[in-house]
Amino acid sequence: MTSYPILTILIFLPLAGCLCLAPVWSRRAAVRPIALGFAVAELALAGWLLVTAPGMPTAPGAPAGYFLWEDAAWIERFGIRYLLGMDGISLLMGALTAFITVVAMAVSWRAVTERTALHYFLILLMESGIMGVFLALDLVLFYLFWEVMLIPMFFLIGIWGHGRRIYSAVKFFLYTLAGSLLMLLAIIGVYLIHGDATGTYTFALPLLAKAPIAHAAAPWLFGAFLLAFAIKFPLFPVHTWLPDAHTDAPTAGSVILAALLLKTGAYGLVRFGYPLFPEAARGFTPLLSVLAVVGILYASWIAYAQEDMKRMVAYSSVGHMGFVALGIASWSPVALSGSILQMVNHGVTTGALFALVGMLDERTDTRELAAYGGVWGKAPKLAFFFLLFAMASAGLPGLNNFTGEFLILAGVFRTTPAAAAIAFIGIVLPLIYTVRLVQEVLFQTERQPLQLPDVTLREGALLAVLALIGVSIGVHPKPLLDILKVPVALLTGTAP
Amino acid sequence: METIAIPAINFAPIMPEVILSIFAMVLLLVNVFVPSEHKAYLGYLSLVGLIVAGFTLIGGWGVPLSAFNDSVVRDNFSIFFKGIFLLTVGMSILISDQYFKREECNLGELYPLLLFATVGMMLMASGTDLMTIFLGLEVLSVSLYILAGFNRANVKSNEAGLKYFLLGAFSTGFLLYGMALTYGATGTTRVVKIAEYVSQNGVVAQNPMFVIGMLLMAVGFSFKIAAAPFHMWTPDVYEGAPTPMTAFMSAGPKAAGFAAFMRVAIIAFPSLKADWSDLLWILAVLTMTIGNLIALNQDNIKRMLAYSSIAHAGYALVGFTAGNAEGTAGILFYMLSYAFMNIGAFAIIVLVGKKGEANNNVMDYAGFGTKHPVLALAMAVFLFSLAGMPPTAGFIGKFYLFSGAIKAGYVWLAIIGVLNSAASVYYYLRVMVYMYMKDPVEEFDWMKLTPAVAICIIIAVVGVLLPGVVPAFLLNLAQQAVLL
Amino acid sequence: MVSLHSYLILSAILFSIGTIGVLIRRNAIVIFMCVEMMLNSVNLTFIALSKHLGNVDGQIFVFFVMTVAAAEAAVGLALMIAFYKNRESIDVEDVKLMKL
Repeated sequence: MTSYPILTILIFLPLAGCLCLAPVWSRRAAVRPIALGFAVAELALAGWLLVTAPGMPTAPGAPAGYFLWEDAAWIERFGIRYLLGMDGISLLMGALTAFITVVAMAVSWRAVTERTALHYFLILLMESGIMGVFLALDLVLFYLFWEVMLIPMFFLIGIWGHGRRIYSAVKFFLYTLAGSLLMLLAIIGVYLIHGDATGTYTFALPLLAKAPIAHAAAPWLFGAFLLAFAIKFPLFPVHTWLPDAHTDAPTAGSVILAALLLKTGAYGLVRFGYPLFPEAARGFTPLLSVLAVVGILYASWIAYAQEDMKRMVAYSSVGHMGFVALGIASWSPVALSGSILQMVNHGVTTGALFALVGMLDERTDTRELAAYGGVWGKAPKLAFFFLLFAMASAGLPGLNNFTGEFLILAGVFRTTPAAAAIAFIGIVLPLIYTVRLVQEVLFQTERQPLQLPDVTLREGALLAVLALIGVSIGVHPKPLLDILKVPVALLTGTAP
Repeated sequence: METIAIPAINFAPIMPEVILSIFAMVLLLVNVFVPSEHKAYLGYLSLVGLIVAGFTLIGGWGVPLSAFNDSVVRDNFSIFFKGIFLLTVGMSILISDQYFKREECNLGELYPLLLFATVGMMLMASGTDLMTIFLGLEVLSVSLYILAGFNRANVKSNEAGLKYFLLGAFSTGFLLYGMALTYGATGTTRVVKIAEYVSQNGVVAQNPMFVIGMLLMAVGFSFKIAAAPFHMWTPDVYEGAPTPMTAFMSAGPKAAGFAAFMRVAIIAFPSLKADWSDLLWILAVLTMTIGNLIALNQDNIKRMLAYSSIAHAGYALVGFTAGNAEGTAGILFYMLSYAFMNIGAFAIIVLVGKKGEANNNVMDYAGFGTKHPVLALAMAVFLFSLAGMPPTAGFIGKFYLFSGAIKAGYVWLAIIGVLNSAASVYYYLRVMVYMYMKDPVEEFDWMKLTPAVAICIIIAVVGVLLPGVVPAFLLNLAQQAVLL
Repeated sequence: MVSLHSYLILSAILFSIGTIGVLIRRNAIVIFMCVEMMLNSVNLTFIALSKHLGNVDGQIFVFFVMTVAAAEAAVGLALMIAFYKNRESIDVEDVKLMKL
């Protein structure tokens, strides 16, 4: 369509924002509008793509399904290229990234009073990194962005977090780093094995996926990829960093962590894991399904026992991502599109829940369930949104999460009925803890006299937009599913 | 009367060495006439010397030349390393002035000594005769003993000098004995001739004199590059030595040790590569693991970086073990990037430190990020590069080394290396935690950022980030400089 | 006629004595003397081998080693004096401000 390097702009616009913050570093009043301006510009660009891109033809030189494509030499000695591409999946993820970044900035608008410039700098830097992860199609480039997005989160948690923030930040960093370093070795392994077999040494995904590795080492390589992605996901039993990181992160950090960082793991598995090792991945399917189901049940159970709202929402995240993993493991068109849709849904719903918990925390300085009660009467608007998103998270029909979960289960039933049957329990369990959450916070009689002003205009507008998106996906998910149709069919090999 | 034919002497291959020696001697003389408050000018003069020497290096790229009866050579390999040495010394000189003024030391002899040390390193890199390598090593070592103990009034510096001297001389003994036995077994001290002898007499490997000679040389070199289990001297010397000298020692002489070790191992004993590799495998694993594990609970940041430098030697040994083009080019690239990131970090340490080597604990960095955001950002860049995070030179270097190892079939070695690298992140993060996430314990009156130090930090940041983003140029240079 | 082997064995013994001395003695000057003994045993090896092989390389090497040893002695003793001035001792047991 156009000759503008749109993908490059998408990745580097936030980074340019980072640089623009430098001259006004110590002036808080100037920092916030500039940062938000860049985030909004990014969102506008992503939104424009979301509207126009689905009709676009395949870009010249790109494999089927990719309507935007950029390819340039980078480190030729190793066959590393600056290769970016956008298909329906990347488009949805990119749009989600741009949107959630704006949300994260909006929720921390007042909460962050110290070192404001650094805060917005890190958020923009992270947006660049995450955008890069969703657009890179060269394995080394992908790895680069994958690591880059770690660093800002580490600082976000460590500097503005609560409680044992430093412990959580370091744990988060080391956990994810250990996994991704092994993935790096696997990337090098893929490169060498593929190069030896075909004679072209390359890190470019389209070339690598054309001739999948049929080497004895393939399961090991896939295992390394899976480990890195599973940690990010997070799948049971490598999820333990998540509750800590979430609980101690500042609100903006939690929102981004839940809505975006977790998605990178699932995205990586869909984009790189399965296409690179179709054979080996099939061998891992039972394991992945079992881990996903165990994760769903375990997380719901643990979530029920939590006394801290944020921890409860964090565990619910583990459960939701278990569904996503289950859908990916079945690798059928229906379940896969369900998984990707669910990634968006989870981003919106859980992001909103973390924002709400953050708002409550800001007002009362506590996240203990036992401290609340009677919020419905005191702050009805806030309570309404809380109820709405809690119900969405529990999978109430008509709201967004339901569509995703439904598609996943429908798809999984065809491939592995047993897993779907057990996972079905997992649809019911969240209701239990969600009801407890809602009951204790909103409807329980007031246990402590809490100062609880209702939502401000900024918060209200933010929540309303999130709610609008949630409801509209819930009742009419077709536009998003249409965007996903082509790439999912191509991935699962069911394209006509 | 019998006449002795004097062979034509071609100084071209050792031009940088000659220039630096002349500069060093001139500096020694001039030093006498320069009043102590103007000693910094000697530093600028020595920088001029380094730049002139650097210019004579460039022309030799791609034009191999050997002289002095084949005992020194100018090839891409040596030129690449000489470039690293010049850079290392230059950056160390830039941070010396501020430090030694604070410590109230007489700077006069510092610059000539540094230049002589450079000459030694250069001879090590270009020596193709065991004799030249030995001479270069000793010129370097003798200068370093003094530099480590340069701060005469400071007991720690005394200790560092003494310890370095005793252990350095001890290890020289091993190296020398190894050289003697190799000479006895092969009848020559020329590296190339040794190689010829080895390839012609395959059984030479069974000759005990030869095997012992080889092993003793390996021990000697391991001391010099601080590979475990011959690393014990490193932490004490690095902690005690004046900070700019620690910066220098951790980057320059280590690279020189690798240069000589590689020259001997790769040229002289190519047919015994399998035996070397087994030995190096163990050295690499021990070096990485011991360095990283002990670094985990160091509070003194210089000591921590000393152990980290041991670990980094271990990563380089991974490439050495691989022994292929990727691995060895990886070492060249890594040594260069390591010089940038490590000296950069030490430049910050110089700034944060106080008189009498105080304020060198990790805890002293609390609040650094808020007080000096730009310097803290620079430090964070260096630390992330040391930890091997993209997009920094440290990442590309490790990528290069580990892909060399995987290509050569040392998958387990690469896995151990990567796990080590993950563990190492912990202690680098710790510094960052203090810099950004803790409040300062006391109000501090740190540092005056002099232009020289600022230039050094800028060079280091550029040197870390630029090859991290567009490494093609340096990768090509490293590839062309490989010995194989 | 003393054979090459005798020379080599003698120098090996001297080298070992030197090594052991470095490892067990505590006085810096004695340690340094042990190091000197190691270097001189190497010199002996070089000369014996040079004679045996009939080539002068070994003897040239010895000259270098001697020169270097002299330079090391100058520097080393200076370092010891500096240390003694500060600590009133040259016992390496006292070299332990910095510990593992």
